[in-house]
Amino acid sequence: MSRNGPLALAYHALFVTFMLAPILVVCFVAFTPEGYLSFPTDRWSLRWFYAIGRYPEFIAAFWRSLWLGALSSAIAVALSVPAALAIARYRFRGREAMTALFMSPLMIPHVVLGVAFLRFFTQIGLGGTFTGLVLSHIVIVLPFALRLTLASAVGMDRAIEHAAISLGASDATVLRRITLPLVLPGLVSGWALAFINSFDEVTMTVFIAAPGTETLPVRMFLYIQDNIDPLVTSVSACVIAITVLALVALDRAYGLERLLVGRSGDGR
Amino acid sequence: MTFLALEGLGKRFGSHVAVDGLTLGVEKGEFVSLLGPSGCGKTTTLQMIAGFVEPSAGAIRLEGRDLLAVKPAKRGLGIVFQSYALFPHMTVAENVAFGLEMQGVAADERRRRVGETLELVGLAAFSGRFPRQLSGGQQQRVALARALVIRPRILLLDEPLSNLDAKLREEMQIELRQIQRTLGTTTILVTHDQAEAMALSDRLVVMNQGRAEQVGPPHVVYERPATPFVASFLGRTNLVAGETVRPEKIVFAATGLAGKVRTRIFQGNHWLYQVETASGLLTVIRQNSGEAMPGEGEQVHLAWGKA
Repeated sequence: MSRNGPLALAYHALFVTFMLAPILVVCFVAFTPEGYLSFPTDRWSLRWFYAIGRYPEFIAAFWRSLWLGALSSAIAVALSVPAALAIARYRFRGREAMTALFMSPLMIPHVVLGVAFLRFFTQIGLGGTFTGLVLSHIVIVLPFALRLTLASAVGMDRAIEHAAISLGASDATVLRRITLPLVLPGLVSGWALAFINSFDEVTMTVFIAAPGTETLPVRMFLYIQDNIDPLVTSVSACVIAITVLALVALDRAYGLERLLVGRSGDGR
Repeated sequence: MTFLALEGLGKRFGSHVAVDGLTLGVEKGEFVSLLGPSGCGKTTTLQMIAGFVEPSAGAIRLEGRDLLAVKPAKRGLGIVFQSYALFPHMTVAENVAFGLEMQGVAADERRRRVGETLELVGLAAFSGRFPRQLSGGQQQRVALARALVIRPRILLLDEPLSNLDAKLREEMQIELRQIQRTLGTTTILVTHDQAEAMALSDRLVVMNQGRAEQVGPPHVVYERPATPFVASFLGRTNLVAGETVRPEKIVFAATGLAGKVRTRIFQGNHWLYQVETASGLLTVIRQNSGEAMPGEGEQVHLAWGKA
């Protein structure tokens, strides 16, 4: 790799500042003792962190978002495994169309999906339910899960499975002992990316969620429409802290680069 | 009775004919090579025997029984793939044990046979390693051990040495031949490397455009090529007045075809000459006996015994 010149370094520094500054500002503001969003501040207080305790709906929304993300991502990954294997290996009629269909949620504005799901779920009696949230989130995170699963399925040497078959393994054994372990890095990174997208989603969810099924971003969005106090910043700071801890843990366990690039780490 | 019989075996992909009515008998314990340029149908033939490609025509019989009716997992064949296709998430021992596990061999019997086979390929000390921690040659041996441990009825080798460097390839050729002779496993090798095929096989099947051009022991095929394709594919040849002459059969003589040495290359154990003659540019190979040889630009006469 070539070394960066001073101009490139300055550019990178500015870029990183631009990306990180808002996050840092939110974390600073969270420690304000004032009753409004004040920055800069010279006094520090945990007042707004304690305040979260007085709003159980925020805590409930956090857990709901966590479960929603985990569940919808897991189902999306489970659905994308057979799809990815089929797309990666076989040339069949409608293969392109199938890929396009699975990827299409990326193309459709979430506002449109939100309105459509609201109408649809109300019609079939799922309006404002957690089941409805899970179903809609499966749709929007499926492209992310499929992309990374597909990448690891495409990169796999077919001969490895042929070797297992020639040694007497049944189709089910090949899937369980060979194929799934080999695409696992792709599944894990696909799940992680899907989870992040589900956890972050607000545009569509705000249409579908009802009081009692609000996700954390939706709750925060609704809160700041009526209030200007720094509660949302302390909530944000908590989410940021949890995210950083999760990333460190993932890096220790798997290696972050491998996870996000979605490359099979065990390949030769 | 022939051990393995390919009867009019054919495969077409759409309008492309990959294998065209191939008939071949292989005896028990024999080492047969399918030799030919890429696209000649040799790999497709191997895959049809293995069961990964379904033939469009013909039959395959093993000890008289229809092999095509048997699922690939039940054929009991050992296969060494060009990419080795080791299981990257398993250790060397686990890789080799996999086939025995599938056969339901008991754990201690499994351990014993894995140990024996790794001993055979000289990798006993590496059983706990993962494939990525091994060199190409070692991975190749693991692949061979994994295929041999199940005591396959036939060993299928798909360009197994093509990813190794020249010196290692030669060592592995010798080792492969010794192992095959020791175990007496019927073996079919697919290769585009004529030197490898000649070194290892009891019989060659030279293939071109989906057909077997010639079948026979290596020295017979080399000495008496049945078609111009076989002659040109197997070693170097000169075409003089419609007759093929091997470069090493031509000698410098007092009389004969007159010519002028255009280039002379020293290759250690032999000299390689390009000689301009009235019949065109001829290649001549002479053993290096330590004696003085004609130099570039010299006038020479070429002679060879009529075949």
